[in-house]
Amino acid sequence: MSSSLRIMAREEDGTILVKVIIPHPSESGLRKDEQGNTVPAHFIMEGSVTLNGVPVVALELGPAVSKDPFLQFRFKGKKGDTVNVIFLDNHNEQFTAETVVQ
Amino acid sequence: MKRRQFLAAGTIFTAFMALQPVALLAEWNAKNFQHGSLKKAFINTLGTDEIAISDQITIVAPPIASDSSSVPVEVISSMKGDQLYLFVEKNFKPLVFKCTLLDNSLPWFSLNIKMKESSALFAVVRSDGKFFMANVRVEIQSQAC
Repeated sequence: MSSSLRIMAREEDGTILVKVIIPHPSESGLRKDEQGNTVPAHFIMEGSVTLNGVPVVALELGPAVSKDPFLQFRFKGKKGDTVNVIFLDNHNEQFTAETVVQ
Repeated sequence: MKRRQFLAAGTIFTAFMALQPVALLAEWNAKNFQHGSLKKAFINTLGTDEIAISDQITIVAPPIASDSSSVPVEVISSMKGDQLYLFVEKNFKPLVFKCTLLDNSLPWFSLNIKMKESSALFAVVRSDGKFFMANVRVEIQSQAC
């Protein structure tokens, strides 16, 4: 579990905008290092966003997502709602964060 | 049951419940993320490669990107949809993401992606069981991945 995952949620006109930054190497498994060795794949595979415990977005991500993925979502909601995000990478490492909508 | 035992059991149960949502996440389908052509990726992921072009889907991406390892892409759909997809034609694995929209979520998603070379991007939206798409071209100025 990582505490360095950053999340921000803001409400405007009944729509919540959520921004998430996940510090992650996001290696596709296709890149080679200076010695020509293939860097093993290490990327985020799955994600889920819940609003007050109810799932709103489910994600399947491929290796083409950039290093330190910066993701943004929009859904209906109001100030004071709780937004929770969970991500899982291919090493079964879990990243989670929770915030209250501003 | 003593209070201490009860608390311990409660902690274990809570920890177990906290792990549950991960198991309930969208099942990552390796077939969707296979190497291959765009056409093959369409068939693997959507089950068809005949997709109607719609002007209600917008992809916001820079026409010329200087850094191929981080290209900001935004997919916006003005039609209601329950699934969003993004494909990069020239990538080894064309599918970038599959986004399942449940209750209350709006068909809008933004992220940074890696691109192997200059390519067309295809955004696909599933609406009422039918697929619609839009495409946009991004030129890469320097190689990074």
